[in-house]
Amino acid sequence: MAALDQKSPNVLLQSLCCKITGKSEADVAHQFQYAVRVIGSNYAPTIERDEFLVSEKIKKELLKQRREADAALFSELHRKLQTQGVLKHRWSILYLLLSLCEDPRKPSNRVPVCSYGALLAQALPRDVHSTPFYYARPQSLPLSYPERSATAHNSSMATSGISSMGVFSINGPGPTPPSLLTGLQPVGESMRGSRLAWTLPVSSSPSGAGAAPRPTSAPSSSPAPRLPQRQRRDGDGSAEIGEAALVRDILYVFQGIDGKFIKMCSPENCYKIDLKVPLCKSLRDTSSRLAELGWLHNKIRKYTDSHSLDRAFGLVGQSFCAALHQELKEYYRLLSVLHAQLQVEDDQGVNVSVDSSLTLRRLLVWTYDPKVRLKTLAALVDYCQGRKGGELATAVHAYGKTGDPHMRALIQHILGLVSHPILNFLYRWIYDGELEDTYHEFFVASDPTVKTDRLWHDKYSLRKSMIPSFITMDQARKVLLIGKSINFLHQVCHDRTPPGKIMPASKSTDSPKDATELFTDLEGAFQSKIDAAYFETSKYLLDVLNKNYQLLEHLQAMRRYLLLGQGDFIRHLMDLLKPELVRAATTLYQHNLTGILETAVRATNAQFDSPEILKRLDVRLLEVSPGDTGWDVFSLDYHVEGPIATVFTRECMSHYLRVFNFLWRAKRMEYILTDIWKGQMCNAKLLKSMPELSGVLHQCHVLASEMVHFIHQMQYYITFEVLECSWDELWNKVQQAQDLDHIIAAHDVFLDTIISRCLLDVNNRSLLNQLRAVFDQIIEFQNAQDTLYRSALEELQLRVQFEDKKRQRVEMGEWGVTAEQEAEENRRVQEFKDTIPKMCSQLRLLTHFYQGIVQEFLRLLMTCSDESLQFLSFRLDFNEHYKARDPRLRPSLGATRGRRSSNI
Amino acid sequence: MANPASANMNAVRETMDVLLEISRLLNTGLDMESLSICVRLCEQGINPEALSSVIKELRRASDSLKASENSTSQG
Repeated sequence: MAALDQKSPNVLLQSLCCKITGKSEADVAHQFQYAVRVIGSNYAPTIERDEFLVSEKIKKELLKQRREADAALFSELHRKLQTQGVLKHRWSILYLLLSLCEDPRKPSNRVPVCSYGALLAQALPRDVHSTPFYYARPQSLPLSYPERSATAHNSSMATSGISSMGVFSINGPGPTPPSLLTGLQPVGESMRGSRLAWTLPVSSSPSGAGAAPRPTSAPSSSPAPRLPQRQRRDGDGSAEIGEAALVRDILYVFQGIDGKFIKMCSPENCYKIDLKVPLCKSLRDTSSRLAELGWLHNKIRKYTDSHSLDRAFGLVGQSFCAALHQELKEYYRLLSVLHAQLQVEDDQGVNVSVDSSLTLRRLLVWTYDPKVRLKTLAALVDYCQGRKGGELATAVHAYGKTGDPHMRALIQHILGLVSHPILNFLYRWIYDGELEDTYHEFFVASDPTVKTDRLWHDKYSLRKSMIPSFITMDQARKVLLIGKSINFLHQVCHDRTPPGKIMPASKSTDSPKDATELFTDLEGAFQSKIDAAYFETSKYLLDVLNKNYQLLEHLQAMRRYLLLGQGDFIRHLMDLLKPELVRAATTLYQHNLTGILETAVRATNAQFDSPEILKRLDVRLLEVSPGDTGWDVFSLDYHVEGPIATVFTRECMSHYLRVFNFLWRAKRMEYILTDIWKGQMCNAKLLKSMPELSGVLHQCHVLASEMVHFIHQMQYYITFEVLECSWDELWNKVQQAQDLDHIIAAHDVFLDTIISRCLLDVNNRSLLNQLRAVFDQIIEFQNAQDTLYRSALEELQLRVQFEDKKRQRVEMGEWGVTAEQEAEENRRVQEFKDTIPKMCSQLRLLTHFYQGIVQEFLRLLMTCSDESLQFLSFRLDFNEHYKARDPRLRPSLGATRGRRSSNI
Repeated sequence: MANPASANMNAVRETMDVLLEISRLLNTGLDMESLSICVRLCEQGINPEALSSVIKELRRASDSLKASENSTSQG
């Protein structure tokens, strides 16, 4: 045994030949030759090299033979075999044993003794083709005439007359059961017949059957005389074509090649059997059912052919084509097995065992699974027409939602391949921030025209149509954000940290199989991968922004300077600016104001701010329109550039400017009213000596306190209800923010809230106008009171001078006053007294206007839905002073109350 | 040296026994000697499909030969 191990296959084969035939080496030369030829030509196995599959087949075979006990025994033996590692090719031996297996209950079909003549002739296989050996095929006869088929059989044997008489004479009386005979002939013999038939024109009318009508596919009419002739014509090749011929044809059709009889019918776009070919209906039906496979194959093939060379179709499309190709390859493998089978049958001629011959029915069964697969693929191809990239993946994914596990596995496999490039894009994007999407297939789009300052906002966007359906919108947004953050870090923050340091999780090179797992298991790995990347990158970005670029400090600086949070600084600035700003706007120069600003900074707590912030603080003059004073055009500015400009965008800054102007104006009113009050307090004592003024002064005091109340409440509202509340909200959100988008969103919300609460948005235009009018009234009142005091003080001074002169003259011993002087003095006093009613009426007018405006303001406030504005209206009119004066305020107040209570 | 060799021989023998048993179960009609030849051929990577067809063919040939001998002896 050990010695034999080293022997070559040829030696082994020879001993095998001797052993089986029981003859000496010289006698088996023919057989040996044959064996070497067969083995040499079929070196590569056409079957799966799967031991498990083979063992399963053996078990099935045993079960089929109803030998369950043996099947169990076999499993036992097989296990034993597996435990011993002596054999390398277990599957091969098992397969050999399986193919040699015979059912002991069946009569041996090994070799029908009757055909030994043929076998003798076949000992040298190269002679096989030369053996003319055919006869009529019973199953090509109409089934409804069984008894005739027998006669036809005989007659055909008698008349087919081409040198095969001997064979049939042996065959006829032989012990072969008829069933075996009919089973035996279909492939080998009919094949030969059909091969012969191929060499003859199918349509040519047979000369021998000239009298008979042309056979059609429906032989029901006048069958009796035609039958024998048809059988005879089989030999001539013009009658019904054999099943084997059809099988051969079908095999070509499977590959999308027109067969001899079955051809592509282009107007109807399907394979059709030539109508002229006589064929029985069942075969015709079966073949057209089989031909569907060819049609499906063509469809898929057309798609892959047209797209695989199209570069613009993109990587996803290419991998889809590759997946289709893979499936087609599988299908071609099946075809090649079938072809090989056909070949083997051809080579072996007659002696093909019944079980392995090819028939249409067998083909129907064998191609059932491939057909279902191809059908799915064809449907998929139809559905994917015109789609690419993520859209294509979506389309494929939609087909995976089926209950059929096989189809699902197939689609899942394709989806894995298709989504592989997408996954690659995705990983490149979220780990390196690089977008290698030449064909615009990925769901993140980049706009190369956008400059870096708008990178965060405008450069990258989601292509909605390209988001595969297995990626949720939320995930897609996160993916976009991750890559955007990385790019932002690189291009805007000039942060050169390698991505590996940001992300501790190492990126893995995923195979297509992983891709499927990731995409199907949404809850698990993929989600957590994205989440981790998102979390790490965003955190890193925020860290960089906060540490290197002091985002939060800048935010606070905005609050302090542009939103007037730094009270001492603002007050001092206003003090310093007052003389400048009362001048006409055209006479202001920025450099003067900048100097003042610096003085203000140095003199107040603002000096302790970091220079990084202070150097950004600047003065800005708005556009001057005629008649403007400095107050109207002055504005503080805060320069933002670099990464923080992403949060403080140009729109944001213009919002800040608007808010600053409003607050500055309100602040100025407070400032003016303080001045008014100061004037009143200082002058009250002085003017006590002029009792005629007391009425006017009282009016002034009343109006001033009314205004002070209004402005105080307004300031309270702005500071506490608007700024502080929104700021607190913003600060909380910024502290909890997970990514830059959260901060930007919170900041935008903050600005929007302030704008709308400060009545600066479009809805509150009328309210703001009233408020402006109030402010204008205050300025007017200031002017009026100033004039009043000026004239009053002038008068007072004149009187004091008059009295002084009088006293001086008395001391000098003269008359205090002359009548002339007295008259002069009295005339002047009278003149002054005459101006008092004018002042009075002016003040009354002012008061009237002012109150009208305030009432209108209150009325508008009533209609506002904002809670805090409602409260403001209660504060402003806490003692119902205005309500008592204006009947319009009452019903509207009631109405709003009613509305509010009904809302609750 | 001898021990592993004999152990190996034992293993081979056992394997062959198991295979013979399977062969018997499947009713392949192979005796020990042909089986061992087949196993060797298979181990050399020969296509079992081809081998099985060769064996079938050889059997057919020998059967028919016998039959013809019978018939000639009868005739």
